[in-house]
Amino acid sequence: MRHASSPLPIKPLNRPADRAMNTPQILTRRNFFSTASGLAATAALSSLTDVPLFVQKALAEGGLGQPDANGRVKKLLFIFLRGANDGLNNVIPHGDDAYGPKIRDNIAIPVDPAQSWNVQGKALFPEAGTTGATFAYPYSLPLGNGFAGLHPALKFLTPVYNAGDLAFIHRVAYPQQSRSHFDSQAYWETGAPRTTMVKDGMLYRAMVESGRPGRNSLTGVSFQNSLPLLLRGSRAAMTNLSDPTRYDLLGVPNTADGNLKAARALEAATGAAFPNKANRDLLQQQYENMRRTLEIFAGIDFSETGNTFVDGDVTDGNKPYYLFPTTNAKNGAGPSGTTNPGYVVPTSAYGYFNQLKSAALILNKTDALVAGTQIDGWDTHSNQGGVTGAHANLLQRVGWSIYALRQYFRRYADQCRWDDLVIVTLSEFGRTTIENSDNGTDHAEASVMYVAGGGIKGLRTDATGKVTHSGVFNCGPSDPVAWQTGMNGSMFQSTGRYLQRATDFRSVMGKVIRDHLGASQEQLNRIIPGYADPNQSLKAGGIQAQDKVRITGEPDLI
Amino acid sequence: MNSLNLRWMLWMALGLVRVGAETPDLLSLAWTNGRPILEFRLVPSASEYRVRSSASPGVAGPLLGGSHRGGRWTAEAPSVGDSAFYRLEALILSNETVRASTLLNRIAYGPTPDELDRLATLGTDAYIEEQLAPEKIIENLDEAPDTGPVWRKISITGTGSSSKLYVYLSGAGDAYLDEFRLVAGTADNGSAPNLLANGDFEQPLAAANWTTTTNTANSARTTDFVHGGNASFHLVQTAAGSTGTDSLVQTTATALSASTTYTLSFWYLTRPSNLQLTVRLSGSGIATTVPLQGNAESPLPYYARLQEGSATIGDLRAWHVLHAVQSRRQLAQVFQQFLENHFVTEYSKGLTYFDERAGLPNAWSGPESTRQEFNENLRWRRAFLNPQCTFHDLLKISAESPAMIIYLDTVLSRGDYNTTTKTNRIANENYARELCELFAFGVDNGYDQGDIEQISRAWTGWTVELLSTNQAANPFAPRTTVLINSGLTNATERNSVTNLAGLWSFRYRTDRHDPRVKWAFYERDAKGGILTNSPKTVPARFGPPWAGRSYGLKLDNGATTNGIQDGYQILRHMADQPFTQEYISVKLCRLLVHDEFHHGYDFTDAETSPEESLVHACMMAWENPPKGGPKGQMRDVLRVILKSDLFRQSNTAAAKVKTPLEFAASTLRAFRAAKPDGAFTAATDAPNLVASGGLLDRAGRMRLFDRAEPDGYAEDAGGWVSAGTLSERLRYVQSLALAGAGLATGTGVRSNPDSLGSSRIDPSAVIALRLANGAQRSAEAVTDCLLGLLFPSEGAANLREYRALGIGFLNTANNGTTPSDFSALAPGTKDYDSRVRGLVALLLSSPRFQEQ
Repeated sequence: MRHASSPLPIKPLNRPADRAMNTPQILTRRNFFSTASGLAATAALSSLTDVPLFVQKALAEGGLGQPDANGRVKKLLFIFLRGANDGLNNVIPHGDDAYGPKIRDNIAIPVDPAQSWNVQGKALFPEAGTTGATFAYPYSLPLGNGFAGLHPALKFLTPVYNAGDLAFIHRVAYPQQSRSHFDSQAYWETGAPRTTMVKDGMLYRAMVESGRPGRNSLTGVSFQNSLPLLLRGSRAAMTNLSDPTRYDLLGVPNTADGNLKAARALEAATGAAFPNKANRDLLQQQYENMRRTLEIFAGIDFSETGNTFVDGDVTDGNKPYYLFPTTNAKNGAGPSGTTNPGYVVPTSAYGYFNQLKSAALILNKTDALVAGTQIDGWDTHSNQGGVTGAHANLLQRVGWSIYALRQYFRRYADQCRWDDLVIVTLSEFGRTTIENSDNGTDHAEASVMYVAGGGIKGLRTDATGKVTHSGVFNCGPSDPVAWQTGMNGSMFQSTGRYLQRATDFRSVMGKVIRDHLGASQEQLNRIIPGYADPNQSLKAGGIQAQDKVRITGEPDLI
Repeated sequence: MNSLNLRWMLWMALGLVRVGAETPDLLSLAWTNGRPILEFRLVPSASEYRVRSSASPGVAGPLLGGSHRGGRWTAEAPSVGDSAFYRLEALILSNETVRASTLLNRIAYGPTPDELDRLATLGTDAYIEEQLAPEKIIENLDEAPDTGPVWRKISITGTGSSSKLYVYLSGAGDAYLDEFRLVAGTADNGSAPNLLANGDFEQPLAAANWTTTTNTANSARTTDFVHGGNASFHLVQTAAGSTGTDSLVQTTATALSASTTYTLSFWYLTRPSNLQLTVRLSGSGIATTVPLQGNAESPLPYYARLQEGSATIGDLRAWHVLHAVQSRRQLAQVFQQFLENHFVTEYSKGLTYFDERAGLPNAWSGPESTRQEFNENLRWRRAFLNPQCTFHDLLKISAESPAMIIYLDTVLSRGDYNTTTKTNRIANENYARELCELFAFGVDNGYDQGDIEQISRAWTGWTVELLSTNQAANPFAPRTTVLINSGLTNATERNSVTNLAGLWSFRYRTDRHDPRVKWAFYERDAKGGILTNSPKTVPARFGPPWAGRSYGLKLDNGATTNGIQDGYQILRHMADQPFTQEYISVKLCRLLVHDEFHHGYDFTDAETSPEESLVHACMMAWENPPKGGPKGQMRDVLRVILKSDLFRQSNTAAAKVKTPLEFAASTLRAFRAAKPDGAFTAATDAPNLVASGGLLDRAGRMRLFDRAEPDGYAEDAGGWVSAGTLSERLRYVQSLALAGAGLATGTGVRSNPDSLGSSRIDPSAVIALRLANGAQRSAEAVTDCLLGLLFPSEGAANLREYRALGIGFLNTANNGTTPSDFSALAPGTKDYDSRVRGLVALLLSSPRFQEQ
């Protein structure tokens, strides 16, 4: 018989039956939950089974992923333009006399000599009519601020802009810009430039802060070849699908007699315990994610036959147009009887629009908060083209995407209305101000972001038509961080070669994540770590300490 | 009881660890009905967990009876007395067993049953040395086994559904046939009467024996190739055959009976071809379709087309995948894929260039771009056969490859003086940037934007041109002027590239080169001016022997053809810098060990992880070749990694996730055993694996030889594991394991459930090769056999749950609930095969088989 104070392991004299002795380090997440359930928001937590504490705390904190006062849940759709979009040929600074053939002999977008550039107000939409070609207009489209023009391949952005639902944010980058695609994409996706300490994605962290991973199967969903870093992280599995129409089999032999047996066996196989090793948590999470996702997807029609969504407006030519051009018959055309002035997107874009449609369906038909996809091919080192060509073909995809999404969420809203959605484009950097010897452009610095949605504060005019708020940021005659013109101006201010930034992309994302998605400032400080650092000036603007560049802070777009 | 006590117990147990045993982390101790229950962390490769109990600490005590499931051990009897000490021990697999598994998963495309056996005898050290010297491994996958024509005999049985025999090919083409015999019965001993007339084609064709149709009208008896006697038959078709109206036909003199079994045999000459030969009776009582090339899996026909320049990108991919599955030089194969992915180029960009820029017809552009991809891979493959192959050799092959010159835009880059703008043209930076960032130094490692601008000018003038065939290796040769058809009268046609004889090759153009001096890797002043007296120096973090070395490079080769030296000097200079050594070593460690190696270690500080040490050891072997010779010998670096302690650890086994290519090859290799007759128990449908819509495409868009982004496909798991990609892997497994019984198509237990190709495995045949007759009927033995083949690095104790699952699966009817004794199923029956295939599909679908 040993003394009770012995430091050695001894069974208690009067041991209660089935008593477990836990050491602190082995508290499971479930244990954690049971001890933490006395916290706030217990009602919301009652449905949780295996949710870590950090998630439960989030539930009590912000409005991310929660219904607002009107019962609406706010959502986000992202489109990543991979390869670096040449922003100077998107929103074009015609007010800067340095822009033109002398820097871009083969690729500059000309202004229409017959157009007045001093008109203030709405942007130009060159109507193709019922017989003209959709993209026949070969000049820049004045954006109504006397300074900027829009690439004519982006013409379908004009109706969205003129409705006040679209903001152009030019000169967007981050301090000490990396000119590597892969590093820079990673920084945009982690939301933490110039550090490798942050390894998970910005929108992944937003989803974790929403408290919904583990409770809802779908939180962040992408439709592309693989899950983007934007949605990757170690504590919860986001979903990526390359082709949602192939999500119908429940993972096991497709005969009636085989299904049940194999489904059970697969469930058991994924439940078996194994020694912990690198990547095993990842596999486990994604297997579980796959099994749950399969069930949800059974209820959504992703098929081509289900792609019947059409436009409600007469925007160009005749209505109605199919919104998601996935075949020739649905490209620049509608159900029978529509006069077709030409394709609205290149025929090579059908795969992408299938993915975009899937992203829209997921946001509209499920409780997913974030969905998105990407457009590849922006690395236009050679033969970039001007009014037409490779870059213009890519821009057509962007223009039609935003136009079509607006129509879709206005006309077919279910769980997500146009007012509940913000669309944002990302791209890792801009391209050199001067074209290279291959009629292309190389890696550079600041580029442009598009932010659209029913709640976006874009163009506003008063009763007389006078502009009270422009939707063009950082490319006007009187920007807070002025656009300096000339061969030593803004377009050359970074190391003499590149367009200098006036806004940090994180300020744009931060504004959207807090003021649209509903994160608290505290949450935002965790989602975008730079917000907690006053030297980065992300919220109110000022000089960014790392490279002493002045930025605007958050644009007034929501 | 508190945590301190448990740790104390653990500490005591550590003192008793012996070879082959480890002490797992204890998590908790509890009692149910008086029986002690220990919860613990599972230990990798554990073959047994056992518990000892004693009344006092420091005494090992006797083993306690009990059982475990997952990380939970339960004693079989209530504990005796009021206090006791418990010690948990794990016996783990031998180091050699674990290392063999890791080797077969990392320097090979997964274990095969035969390789597992071979390594157990050979030993892992010997295997490493064998694989590091691929030139000594005999391999003839790309060559015919002998030089003469190879005749193959086919023999089949079936019913006499008709008296009409049809012989035809699946498309336009020809074949040689001989010695047809048709006899009654299930075998042909050679003496039974031949029911076919003139089956040996010794007599002229006549209405009484063989008749041709319009489609086969060009066929004839021949003496060119003969299997028996003096003549054979040369079947020539203008289009695909399918029935009596478009094939070679014979109606037997004696009517056949549908209720009788007959045996048909014949010989045909195998040859490189995609065509299928079908021989059948009308109504398909007796029917067979065989690949004209004989072995459907041979890379030979693909290689023949690649050599000839007529191959498509699909041919190149199929050839590559077949080698991954079959090659005995597995390390060389893995390394070649590493190089192809490291020095990535994009087939589609080459195609577009040849089509739109070079003026080739569209139909020629694909094969030409394929040829360029093939050539660089062939050069890497040959370079690695040299025992002293260096990284510089490999880098140079990449730089000189027209595929690369086109891919990163060097082909159009110019730096010559522009008389209009009165400046030199601005060189394209694309290749210079990726050379620094992705091919040699690693991102932000020893270079900056200014260096890229300087280096980009060095590559101006590197173009791709059609050079005459005997000048293809001469970058100074002028464009070819040799006409294919000099008789063309139309000047445009005569001078078009389609009428020029030659090969598209690397050509250096002085008239596009920027001849000015370039200063790479020099410091700059505040205004960006180059400080020509201040070359950059290697940062202190590299430590000796590198830290502080100057590595500036001044290029001053002028405007003559000497300007070509700019590029070569850069390659020579960068190939063995510590930045390159570090970057490539890290990538190879990630390929072979695990994902968590990083760039930018401080090699001088006190904190040293095993990963950092291994990278450093690689760099030292690179810098100071152990056997002398040039720096950067790849085999030295690979040997350091494979012989490291990190590589041996049981934690390293199964710590990586397979890429789609590795997954596809490993599923086939896992069930690819040689049968006594030399045939294999798995068949690779390479063209469909790599086709658009095939597994590699769908499970993460791994389009071999055609990646758009210059960073190559991901080596780490994150890029390959998501709900969508996993579901595609599972669909493929269904198609692979369940689609057909045996290896034949179309006779399966289930129809092909998907479009993921017709690769096949025959797990029942593998079991028959490895288990005695009695054991083949044992659910336990069959499950153990499969687990051993699929998870050789994992011990029995950790596989216990999979084992219970497998045994349960085999002993359950297909409805998933009714018990059904596996031992009641006879091997060789459809029910037996179906049950085994179901379990195999399940195991291949499990998370564990995604690991390598």
